Amino acid sequence: MTDAVAILANGVVYGSIYGLVAIGMTLIYGTLRILDMSQGSMVMVGGYVGWWALATHGVNAVLALVAAFVFTFALGTATELVSVQPLIARRNEVDFELVTFITTFAVAIFLTNVALQHFGPFQQNVPTIVSGNLKLYHGVSISYHELTMAVISVVLMIGLGLFLARTRWGLAVRAVAQDLDAARSLAVPVTRLYPLTMGLASALAGVGGVFLGALYFASPTAGDLPLLFALIVVVLGGLGSLTGTLYAAYLVGMTQSFCEVEIGTTWTLPILYGAILAILVFRPYGLKGSPSEARL
Amino acid sequence: MTGTFGAVTPGRWAMIAVAVALAAVFPLVYHDPYYMTIIVTGEIVLILNISWNFVLGMAGVWNFGQLAIYALGAYSSGWLMLHHSGVPVPLAILFGGLFSGVVSVLLAFPTLRLFGIYTSLLTFSFAQVIQYVAVNNPHGLTGGSFGFPEVPGLFPDLGQTAYLRAYYWVCAGVIIASCFAVAWLRQSHLGIALRSVRDAPAYTAARGVNPRAARVAAFGLSGFLAGIAGGLYLSFEQSFTTSQMGLTPMSLDVTMLVIGGLGTVSGPLIGTALLTVIQTKLINYPGWQLTVLGATLLVIVVFVPGGIVGLFGRIDRRVRGWVAEDADEAEPAPG
Repeated sequence: MTDAVAILANGVVYGSIYGLVAIGMTLIYGTLRILDMSQGSMVMVGGYVGWWALATHGVNAVLALVAAFVFTFALGTATELVSVQPLIARRNEVDFELVTFITTFAVAIFLTNVALQHFGPFQQNVPTIVSGNLKLYHGVSISYHELTMAVISVVLMIGLGLFLARTRWGLAVRAVAQDLDAARSLAVPVTRLYPLTMGLASALAGVGGVFLGALYFASPTAGDLPLLFALIVVVLGGLGSLTGTLYAAYLVGMTQSFCEVEIGTTWTLPILYGAILAILVFRPYGLKGSPSEARL
Repeated sequence: MTGTFGAVTPGRWAMIAVAVALAAVFPLVYHDPYYMTIIVTGEIVLILNISWNFVLGMAGVWNFGQLAIYALGAYSSGWLMLHHSGVPVPLAILFGGLFSGVVSVLLAFPTLRLFGIYTSLLTFSFAQVIQYVAVNNPHGLTGGSFGFPEVPGLFPDLGQTAYLRAYYWVCAGVIIASCFAVAWLRQSHLGIALRSVRDAPAYTAARGVNPRAARVAAFGLSGFLAGIAGGLYLSFEQSFTTSQMGLTPMSLDVTMLVIGGLGTVSGPLIGTALLTVIQTKLINYPGWQLTVLGATLLVIVVFVPGGIVGLFGRIDRRVRGWVAEDADEAEPAPG
């Protein structure tokens, strides 16, 4: 019973944060047909912004999160303008996905190494947003920090859902995802929409980075593991499917926390990977993905 | 006319012969141990790149797991060298190649069920998981992040100069052999099948080619060569650390392939040589090495699609076009 509570609690926490990072990738893939490899770097940058705001300037937590959101939003927009916008004309060529995979990967290399030069290879401690622990059941507890992380992740994901469902810009994003040419002919400003989408996705990852920075550290390679988990989540959920990504995020989170409690951390990734292989062999487009064009 | 190795003109053959001869005598006149070490390491990276280019460029399967295959070649050949000292080292390296080839084929089956970007995702995470497991050093098999322990190597008794020279020739031999093999494969039934599956999968399948069989074969061959590269690296450097299959070498190798020109025979040669020189020049500014790398990769992909080989091909065609135009003007067609 204690184990079950621990697994459930940690699973929800992990799932929420993976969802936050992965949903951005799904959003970008759904609209632009690009697998954004710079998403992990945004987590890393978010961690540094959190460290800069909380540890060196001592501002309050809400401000730090807002700062991370704004900064990674700008960075994500810039990334799109540099690595995707010049290639939009080649959008219908067969290798567009591979080419943008490589260019966003190049941005990730660049950002990681700028961070490495600027901050050095050291791990920086990021203070937690909220201190203290919540006792759940017979010695099982989660920190308020993790709880806040899960709650804010869920709130942001709901916010994204509402943005897509209710606002004009969200409608435009969905329209572009469904049919680029039709959207264009209805005067949707596609060239402005793409940077906005990528900025938004990056900002979600950046906010996640502040939380993850406090959970682990801020370091130049802090984005690698979140990127790997986000990749696993989006593959499992089916690229371009927001609900699929959510299911997959919690599934991966639960599996990870189950492995950590029952088997040991060493085998978490191999087990997850094995599970994904098995699922993909039977469902090559993930849980909710479909072979048709991208859609949200 | 296409011969056994594709359309190679007599002039091209002469150039290749001169290049091979120059490469062969090079270590006899050049001795600097520091740069020779860099050159031999570059040769091993080139072998890896040739193998990767085969599956990534020629077969068009977005396999980003090649570095893990390479590492498995190093670990498996090293395991044989350490624990079964009766086995000759060349055989151990060959074993590493075979092991990697088999793993690569096994990886091919789930991978080839997927399409497009899913392929790169699956193989990329395959590489990351293998690296993660290797860092955790299961049963002491990999040495973790401190690296694989010292192994006998191919030439344990040679002095430094002779040692470097011997490795240089061995690697050069493997490179030349694999270049010819790739050039031959490119216009063989398998190569044509691979390229046409890459460019028009449905049509190729309709013409009776089994796309999956061709691609599995490509994975096997490419994995074999990558494993050989891994074994050579381990036996030359006397160590193999998990950082060898991390994101940094992967981005370096991808950049080499993209800059040289994916899917061509000479692309990996040019890309690897160029980037090895650049990286060596920047060695005193370690922070800049990869920053420059990322920026270069971005610029090349955006502005020079097809890499350097593609660029030269376009320039060549344009010059020929001008020559042809001039000829037309000078000599109006009869009639």
